[in-house]
Amino acid sequence: MSSDAHAATSRVADVPLSPHFGWAWWLALLFAGGLVALLGYTLISVTIIGVGVWGVNIPYVWGFDLINYAWWIGIANGASLFAAILVLRRHDLRTAVNRFAEGVALFAVICAGIFPIFHLGRPWLFYWTFPYPATFEVWPQFRSTLTWDFWAISTHVIVTSLLWYVGLIPDLATLRDRARRPSVQRIYGVFALGWRGSVRHWAYHQRAYRLVAILVLPLILIMQSTVAFEFAVTLVPDWHETRQPLHFVATGLAQGLSIVLLVAVLLRWGLRLGRYIDEGDIDLLGKLVLASALVSGYLYIDEIAAALLSGGLARKATFTRMTGEYAGLYWTAIVYSILIPQLFWFRSARLSTVSGVFVGVSIGIGIWFDRFSIIVGGLQTDYLPSIGRSYSPTLPETGLFLGTVGLFVALLLLFVRFLPVISMFETRHDEHEEKSS
Amino acid sequence: MTQQSYGIMAEFKSPEALMEAVRAAKRAGYTKLDAFSPFPLADLARELGVRTGMIPWIALVAGLVGAAIQYGSQYWMNAVDYPLNVGGRPLHSWPAYIPASLIVAILWAGAATLIGLLLILRLPRLHHPVFAFPGFERASEDRFFLCIMQDDPMFDSATVHAFFGALSPLAVQEVPACD
Repeated sequence: MSSDAHAATSRVADVPLSPHFGWAWWLALLFAGGLVALLGYTLISVTIIGVGVWGVNIPYVWGFDLINYAWWIGIANGASLFAAILVLRRHDLRTAVNRFAEGVALFAVICAGIFPIFHLGRPWLFYWTFPYPATFEVWPQFRSTLTWDFWAISTHVIVTSLLWYVGLIPDLATLRDRARRPSVQRIYGVFALGWRGSVRHWAYHQRAYRLVAILVLPLILIMQSTVAFEFAVTLVPDWHETRQPLHFVATGLAQGLSIVLLVAVLLRWGLRLGRYIDEGDIDLLGKLVLASALVSGYLYIDEIAAALLSGGLARKATFTRMTGEYAGLYWTAIVYSILIPQLFWFRSARLSTVSGVFVGVSIGIGIWFDRFSIIVGGLQTDYLPSIGRSYSPTLPETGLFLGTVGLFVALLLLFVRFLPVISMFETRHDEHEEKSS
Repeated sequence: MTQQSYGIMAEFKSPEALMEAVRAAKRAGYTKLDAFSPFPLADLARELGVRTGMIPWIALVAGLVGAAIQYGSQYWMNAVDYPLNVGGRPLHSWPAYIPASLIVAILWAGAATLIGLLLILRLPRLHHPVFAFPGFERASEDRFFLCIMQDDPMFDSATVHAFFGALSPLAVQEVPACD
């Protein structure tokens, strides 16, 4: 007789173990793979020719490279923060979304990491940011925010990937034990590290996992603030504001949540996981997305208030951003990240797959325009009369951005194909708790 | 003495049955026990006397060491070994050293905890005697196992078999040692 627990998670385990996955997956992977090839092409061209292929020039030294960096970091941090809070609160939602929320965070931070390295101009010398005993006996300047960023990105990559992997080990053991083909058994077996489900091991595993999940929480806040400090510590009137870290953390959370919602809705629909990611989960995610969009809205009002309270050039800078040459970016951000999410006041909109995808994508777009508006629009007013030049991205920059989107999608597709997207042991644990209570 | 056997293991259908078995084994005086389950069982871990108190200490100590090394190296490099006057700002600008120190503290604490976890659990260990038990692959799905180890002072093959028999498990078998 097959017991309940057996049936409970077999749907999740069947996905990575099924020998065929359908043409839609291959088609999507082909498309994403094409974009990854584009990424490779643009990265090689910028390495050989130099950053001159981008549209950046004084005063706009930060173009698509920093816009997209700040955007991907927002997704990574928002998703990580959400996953950490779920673990910390021992919320039921964690069973359904934690695994892929951490996955989203990891893939986004990989995409983010590409930009600052190539933005250096000589990417092969990126290790100069690391304090190693160099021939010239020169050390990095730690009073600069840019060196903080080096530690933040590398820490985020290392800690998130370790946490994600350690959380996966028991589920990899399940896949090892369920796999029928010896080659598949061997691959999952090696990655499962010989996990045997000893109660003693479980106790340690849970304690360590939870502890590191909690450690991620301050890491995210510091990291997102570090990104914001890169703007705030400059003397550019529109950027030189103490409110920047708050703006980046809050809008980043909205963005991370919206991408988690987007992936949740797509997984539920594409892999028919309605039983594990149920209506209640999607409804709750929708409410969180709405709440975070409202917080972003509050921060946009705060931006206006801060501009009104500050004097002279700082006020002029913010209002130029809203009305000047680049005003379109600002207002697009408002519409996509604040107004469209208001759809989620309706329960039917929160539960519908189509509107879930729509709102998820729209917040992503909105925050991207917000970063664009801050980085480019914010530079229009400075203490020095700047050369009357404007910024527009070139084709290689656009290709770089689309390429990272492709990389993100490709990593997500591979994750969905080969790993359990939902924590199977947590699901078993929850079902056991429900039965015994 | 060459070990012929790793222990004797019994298979159970539910976590409650496993819990009963562990309590009975403790009452009978067995001390070298190991239980296996497809999901974490906090109560059972407590019953088996598992202490995980070491984990937060690893995190704390590693975090403090990481922060100290990061702060110290920033101070030494920028204020002592290569002092660079940037617009007359103080060389020992401690507020500027804080973000990286905190971040690196988290890096050390997180990495040490998770790598330490694997060391404590002695993983990776791809081969283990318990895997030889027929049907043990369901320990990662829906079955629960209790093993009384051969090095238990009260271990005696016949008595252990009789003990497990009284609990009506799904299966009982001797687990041979690896080598």
